[in-house]
Amino acid sequence: MNNILTKSIFIILAIFLSSCDSDSSRGYEFMPNMYRSPSIETYEQHSIKNFDRLPVNGTVSRGNLVTFNYENNLEGYLSAGKNFSNPLVNNDKNLKDGEALYGMFCQHCHGATGAGDGSVQHPIYSAVPHYNDSKLLRRCGVPMCDLEAGHIFHAITYGLNAMGPHASQITEEERWKIVLYVQEKLQK
Amino acid sequence: MNIIKDMIQTKYFKKYFLLTILFTFSIKAFSQEDGAKIFKQNCTACHVLGETKLIGPGLKGITEKRDKEWLKKWINNSSELIASGDADAIAIFEEYNKVAMTNFYFSDEEFEALFAYLDAPPVEEAVVATQAPVIAEEKMSTSTQLMIVALILLIFIFILTSVKNSLKESLGQETESVTEAVKSNILLFLSNTFNKLFVVLFLAIIILKFVYDAMMGVGVTTNYQPEQPIAFSHKIHAGDNGIDCNYCHVSARKSKHSSIPSANVCMNCHASIVEGSIAGTTELQKIYDAVGYDPDSRTYIEGYEQKPIEWVRIHNLPDLSYFNHSQHVTVGQLECQECHGAIEEMDVVKQHSELTMGWCIECHRETEVKMEGNDYYTSMHEKMKQKYAGEKITVDKIGGLECGKCHY
Repeated sequence: MNNILTKSIFIILAIFLSSCDSDSSRGYEFMPNMYRSPSIETYEQHSIKNFDRLPVNGTVSRGNLVTFNYENNLEGYLSAGKNFSNPLVNNDKNLKDGEALYGMFCQHCHGATGAGDGSVQHPIYSAVPHYNDSKLLRRCGVPMCDLEAGHIFHAITYGLNAMGPHASQITEEERWKIVLYVQEKLQK
Repeated sequence: MNIIKDMIQTKYFKKYFLLTILFTFSIKAFSQEDGAKIFKQNCTACHVLGETKLIGPGLKGITEKRDKEWLKKWINNSSELIASGDADAIAIFEEYNKVAMTNFYFSDEEFEALFAYLDAPPVEEAVVATQAPVIAEEKMSTSTQLMIVALILLIFIFILTSVKNSLKESLGQETESVTEAVKSNILLFLSNTFNKLFVVLFLAIIILKFVYDAMMGVGVTTNYQPEQPIAFSHKIHAGDNGIDCNYCHVSARKSKHSSIPSANVCMNCHASIVEGSIAGTTELQKIYDAVGYDPDSRTYIEGYEQKPIEWVRIHNLPDLSYFNHSQHVTVGQLECQECHGAIEEMDVVKQHSELTMGWCIECHRETEVKMEGNDYYTSMHEKMKQKYAGEKITVDKIGGLECGKCHY
């Protein structure tokens, strides 16, 4: 009897000890100052004054000259459609890049074929129009299948209806590639 | 006349009568459903069925507010209605910044169905809006469960012995205590030399194992799973809704770092979706607090002092090693999951890989270099193919094991 009691107590203690683990701590670091160095790393907090200042107004980062100077309103949208055209050449490489970028940034709402049947399930995004729709007139006076490059570019840059502005995620060149892909493959 | 009377009395007539009634009801139900479908496919991008504005006004009670004929004209061709000088139409057009509504050429049946739906919007949408935020139940880890089981068993043993003791006492027998019983048993066990040796060895192995694990775990943070300031679920966004990793982590393709999305990327969708599927509005409100957005009026608050969201960093390499995301994502064409695991199935992200040097090296020894479509290095790649004819050209053959590649 006593034997069983002792054994059971040992087994229980073993369970108790073996159950120690925790996932919310980073554990030990060999050289902590190699992980948290004095130099400021990306996204790190610091107390240096004026370190996070924005670039001087009018600064252009290399390779990112902004050529799109239309305002975020209806007039801007309409005049972009009229006056702004795609500078990219319609070739296989640009189309392939456009397709890849479309897959990253558009497909989950607009669908792989542009039918508006993307994988996002929220009801707000259930009314995404088909790119080849020729029936319903949009705010620029033409149906989806006749949207100009400038319209699409404006919509990506500033957003439209329930779609948000994507200028911070997609560079101008990438936007043109997407526009090219949409116009060549999905509007037809 | 008799024939008709006969017909009415036959059971066939009853049957058909019932069928006809059923049929009319089903048509009615169908039209209601149809209306919901029309609404979802055409209207939800700009309108909600409540009172809040989205792009256009909320459509709660719109069929009472406006005449149905007027609504038909407006939906069919709003600009024509405005041009005809209708005062209501012009007022709405001015109120919503002169953005023309898309012209929907619905048929009369479709209008019928749509109005039926708008007359009696489904109740559950209203319920969803007022539902108290449901916070996902915290799952207890297996370790805590084991601990609790062990504790309960221990308490159980003490209770049983005390019951047994009190029973024995009432019978006038000798009582026993748990601690003494354990003590005497241990002493009895240790009185044997072989047992003593066994115990010493056993303890030594356990201690060594603990020390070894602790040493090997220094600087290795696999399974690190900190709590984030916002309970963002990758499972919902990347898994269920199929949003590409690159949509939010934009710079993984182009830079050393895979960027943490700034709040404006969240707002691309959450300016419209103001209620989450797990935590309701509590977690989304944290984004709105950071950027200064009013989800009721769906506008940004002017002059709001924006605050950053302080996400907790999970993956962190020491400064002594260099790692570049674009090199692996764009050039190496690796999938994110190869290092980060099945992120699209994680509600709370944890570190999947060891991120140790051994782990890097192993992958560099096994992974083949993807040479297709890399025109810049064509001649170099040709030379490599000649030199290593018949062998796999892995990353270590193009210098993937050079110290200076990562340590400089």
